[in-house]
Amino acid sequence: MIENSKSAVVIGGGIAGIQASLDLAEMGINVYLIEKKPSIGGRMAQLDKTFPTNDCSICILAPKLSECYRHPNITLYPYTEVKKVAGEAGNFTVEILKRARYVKEEDCINCGLCAEKCPMRVDDEFDRQLRKRRAIYLYYLQGVPAIMTIDKDHCLWFTKKACRICEKNCERKAIDFEQKDEIIILENVGSIILATGYNLIEDIDNGILENYGYNKFRNVVTALEFERLECASGPLEGHIKRFSDSETPKKIAFLQCIGSRTEHTFGYCSSICCMYTTKEAMIAYEHDNELKSFVFYIDMRAGGKGFQSFLQRGAEEYNIEYIKSKIAQIKIDEKENPIIVYEDLDTSEIKQLKVDLVVLATCIIPPLGIEKLSEILGIDLDEYKFVKTLPFMPIETSKQGIFTCGCVHEPMDIPRSVAEGSGAAARAAEIIRGG
Amino acid sequence: MSKEKKENEDASVGAFICHCGSNIGGLIDCKALAEYAQTLPYVKYSEDNLYTCSETGLASIKKAIKEHNLNRVVVASCTPRTHEPLFRECILEAGLNKYLFNFVNIRDQCTWVHMKQPKEAFEKAKDLIKMGVAKAVNLEPLQTVKIKVNPTALIVGGGVAGMSAALSLSKQGFKTYLIEKENKLGGRLNNLYKLFPYDLDASQVLNNMISKIQNNQNLTIYTSAKIKKVTGFIGNFEVEIEQDGKLINIVVGTIIITVGTSLLKPTTLFAYDGKIRITQQELEVKLKNNDLNANNVIMIQCVGSRIEERQYCSSVCCMTALKNALIIKEMNPNANIAILFRDLYTPGTYYEKYYRQAREKGILFVRYNVNRMPELNEKQITVFNEYIGNDVTIPYDLLVLSTPLIANSDNKELAQMLKVPLEVNKFFLEAHVKLRPIDFATDGIYIAGSAKWPVDITESITQGYAAASRASTILAHTTLEVEGATSSLPEWNKSLCRGCEVCITVCPYHAIKKNEVDEIEIIQALCKGCGVCGATCTKQAIEIKHFTNEQILAEIYALGGREL
Amino acid sequence: MDFEPKILGFLCNWCSYAGADLAGVSRIQYPPNMRVIRVMCSGRVDPKFIFEAFQQGLDGVFVLGCHPGDCHYLEGNYEAEKKFNMVSKFLKLIDLENRVRLDWVSASEGGKFGEVISDFIDQIKKIGPSPLNTNNPDLNLLDKLKAIEIAAGTERIRALVGRQRKITEIENVYGEIVPLTKFNDIFDKAIADEYIQARILLSLEKDPKSIKDLAIEFNIDPSEVLKNILILKSRAQVDMEKIIGITPIFVKV
Repeated sequence: MIENSKSAVVIGGGIAGIQASLDLAEMGINVYLIEKKPSIGGRMAQLDKTFPTNDCSICILAPKLSECYRHPNITLYPYTEVKKVAGEAGNFTVEILKRARYVKEEDCINCGLCAEKCPMRVDDEFDRQLRKRRAIYLYYLQGVPAIMTIDKDHCLWFTKKACRICEKNCERKAIDFEQKDEIIILENVGSIILATGYNLIEDIDNGILENYGYNKFRNVVTALEFERLECASGPLEGHIKRFSDSETPKKIAFLQCIGSRTEHTFGYCSSICCMYTTKEAMIAYEHDNELKSFVFYIDMRAGGKGFQSFLQRGAEEYNIEYIKSKIAQIKIDEKENPIIVYEDLDTSEIKQLKVDLVVLATCIIPPLGIEKLSEILGIDLDEYKFVKTLPFMPIETSKQGIFTCGCVHEPMDIPRSVAEGSGAAARAAEIIRGG
Repeated sequence: MSKEKKENEDASVGAFICHCGSNIGGLIDCKALAEYAQTLPYVKYSEDNLYTCSETGLASIKKAIKEHNLNRVVVASCTPRTHEPLFRECILEAGLNKYLFNFVNIRDQCTWVHMKQPKEAFEKAKDLIKMGVAKAVNLEPLQTVKIKVNPTALIVGGGVAGMSAALSLSKQGFKTYLIEKENKLGGRLNNLYKLFPYDLDASQVLNNMISKIQNNQNLTIYTSAKIKKVTGFIGNFEVEIEQDGKLINIVVGTIIITVGTSLLKPTTLFAYDGKIRITQQELEVKLKNNDLNANNVIMIQCVGSRIEERQYCSSVCCMTALKNALIIKEMNPNANIAILFRDLYTPGTYYEKYYRQAREKGILFVRYNVNRMPELNEKQITVFNEYIGNDVTIPYDLLVLSTPLIANSDNKELAQMLKVPLEVNKFFLEAHVKLRPIDFATDGIYIAGSAKWPVDITESITQGYAAASRASTILAHTTLEVEGATSSLPEWNKSLCRGCEVCITVCPYHAIKKNEVDEIEIIQALCKGCGVCGATCTKQAIEIKHFTNEQILAEIYALGGREL
Repeated sequence: MDFEPKILGFLCNWCSYAGADLAGVSRIQYPPNMRVIRVMCSGRVDPKFIFEAFQQGLDGVFVLGCHPGDCHYLEGNYEAEKKFNMVSKFLKLIDLENRVRLDWVSASEGGKFGEVISDFIDQIKKIGPSPLNTNNPDLNLLDKLKAIEIAAGTERIRALVGRQRKITEIENVYGEIVPLTKFNDIFDKAIADEYIQARILLSLEKDPKSIKDLAIEFNIDPSEVLKNILILKSRAQVDMEKIIGITPIFVKV
């Protein structure tokens, strides 16, 4: 193995960043994996199952998370953000801000006692605000590192100088309210890989979703919310119940292309929604054989490996009906059952369908904070604010030595994100190994 | 030959019961558990710790090993899935082989799940410790095998994916061979005119790539060359290449497969004749040579794909049709172009824009349903348009059929040579569709580009780089350490083996083979230790290290408590 | 006194063991009757382990693996299924088949793990303790179980189990796919044959017997015994020791 003092910095601990980090580490290169959230795992950790195999997302992700945590060549910086980048390819200097958790990492054993005692209730971001967590919390159960974090914005000590019950109850004396944010300077960085993933249209204040009844009607949810609802480790433990009356929905409408492919919102195609909608409908059917699902689509996009047969199975074995259509309106009846008014493009008739629950396949948007980060890195964004890449080289940004992979530059599925993670690692390695 | 006397006769076990703060200790009496452990056969020493995984706990273990001459260690606490590596390292530092450690889970699977039944949880913990000790007594030291890695890579297929991989690996400093069965590099790129979505010239992009890889001291390129034979395993593949009748033998550490695809010729569909009813590829040749004399062009999508016999979507045909349609429109603004489609595949940020562009340029898009295929006549196509609810007849003087990319006919031969699988459409099958899309299940061999599944050039290039990265994770090491807890056919059981080969049938990693003298050989470098061969062996001759029959039966007997 | 079953569970490292750990982390409560043996893959569970567990007097045995398609070792759980199938068929001969279960629990199904375990323990509670779970176990049943273990361990049975997937899903040595019904016919016959042969061998190991003796002991037709004695004789596993009157007495070789 070539002795090397140059390291790589990977920004973003989702599956693309994790793959890039693991490959680089296995090549003998030192990697600093920076992640904004308290644990790595990204969006994949929020999924119940993944298409087209419908295998359990956490099950296939968890070994990679452990590997990252334990690998001697990877230094994990969770709850950390990149503040400054200077230098050039082969010799960057990266300044990162490691936020204080107010919990000592070496001492916390994740026994959960502190959270049990905490009196605060905060919307849980991992569960898409569908349940409450405490002010001292674990980002998600299988997260790595499995260390509690105190949310300064909601902790009674930081807001009102009261409480500190968690500290009193921690047997390991792991709580440390005096902990400070830390600035760390990483020098001699050969390459940087940007893999900060994506947000969804519902994360920005956008009136589009209200047109479809979101935030207006209780029985309209977004796809990621539905994913958390059907997940065994989610807020309803996988027992899907609608919010208006806690009834189990027997008819679900999945609406595609919400906020995408239209010029007055986001003009691009969000790529993965056709597939994940079928997946979600399949999982829901596995939970309840009486369920009938309706997918309202414009074009079903299933070009990946095994994707077309996946859709076929959905239609044949999982009671899913695909309706090529244009949605005109969503309204509700007196029992809050949503009614879809649509134009059936196979027959050119205007029709109405009453269902129990509506799931919106919302558009993937660039990650919040990408504009600031792109300035720090000195890279260009495209017209949609995704990271701009070079023709036929989607892993290269506009700046030499900074590479990118995954949804931060274009919406894509997991296999592609993983392949890109490896691809970015190869390009990063070329600089670091010399040549 | 009888089995060697096992060391369990001299087993000297140390048992460490963890309180884990109050997680365990708060529900059950750990001191009493330690006392109980002391009564078990072969237990020389036991103690209870507040946090066995802390620095003090680990130090205590090391001290006990030295002072009491322990040669087996059992820790009863949380879960091996997080903490086994830690304790293994600990006893290694105290001079013991790291496989002489056993873990008993009395927290996640005991105190945490029986919180209202402390008495029962205590009894359960006792049983589990008894079982854990019984297994530990039967543990044996295991050696990990170190295999040498030849820091060379072989890339099979010189298209864009292969060239990208070759470029990256040689830049990273690895000696690389790139072989291509045609007499020139470039693969399908040689047949294309312009490339979507940037409308760049294919030959320019190709020449660019070729010039980059040609001046590379680390890279040896063989054109008109094919693989004839492959033996060996990761780190040491022996490959025989045939080039123009000559044989070349090389030894490489990893192999990357980038053999690409072929295009379906729709010989039985839509009266294809290669003249006025042609494929998209044939259209590109016409466009390249400025040989297009058509005013009314109809393109039909999904010809031969997304049907019963070929269920997949070939993903690149929609963009290809749009691209060529736009080129025709540019060359001849008065041309009438209609694209008959089922679903238009233009995902992502760039492609959707391209589609919009095509619509704006006046290209007609008519959707058809697979249950109502367009009808072909001599000079026109009749297609049912659902929107107006009636048939539409469109005249053509050129009919372009968008056919899918299909697996190469020699994929099967190559797959058998490498012992890698193909999926139902005969494309190569990767180890895991989601998380290991570039690896084969067989270590050291990688797959990229359209040989795996039809993808566009951008993704082929990315996958080529990804394969280079995967290969690099192996080639960067001079030796590879292979897991010690693997399957083995012990010397004293060789006479039992009758060569039935059932073990070979069930091994998903092709880690078992018959050697030159027809003996069963288990390649430790490829074995993942799942144990299926051991549980299946018809003569019960195969042993699964660290999970041997003796060890597991010892646990069962300890639980049952019966002398048999 | 309320019966508390003692259950042995085999959990595979990557899915069910992880699922069990998650149940713990989530503090999902379930009855404390199960004792776990960790294996790397559910396919590691040799049928002999299950038979030995019952001989040890355990009331139930549970094997939990990854969901089909999710096996960390790609196909181990499919093999586990085939082995379990064989185990069930044998246990059915002695009415113990409702004391074993095979199920799939993934690493994220902590809740399901708790449910599945609770369910099985309930099931065993209802059917009561194993007839071998006493200080005076039914020796006849113990003998039958030993015979089953021997029969299940024969090359013939193990080869059928090991090859089942290949010949029923891909091809046999002639390049044909054997339909599952045909396979099961062959398999069931093999199970019946090997079982009776193992019983005969075990019985003759104790002392020499005549065909009539064995027929009475096993409560089956003498012609059935004769058929199998002849097979065992042709394999040189039994031999005729002497003749008393006109009755041949057989002994284990």
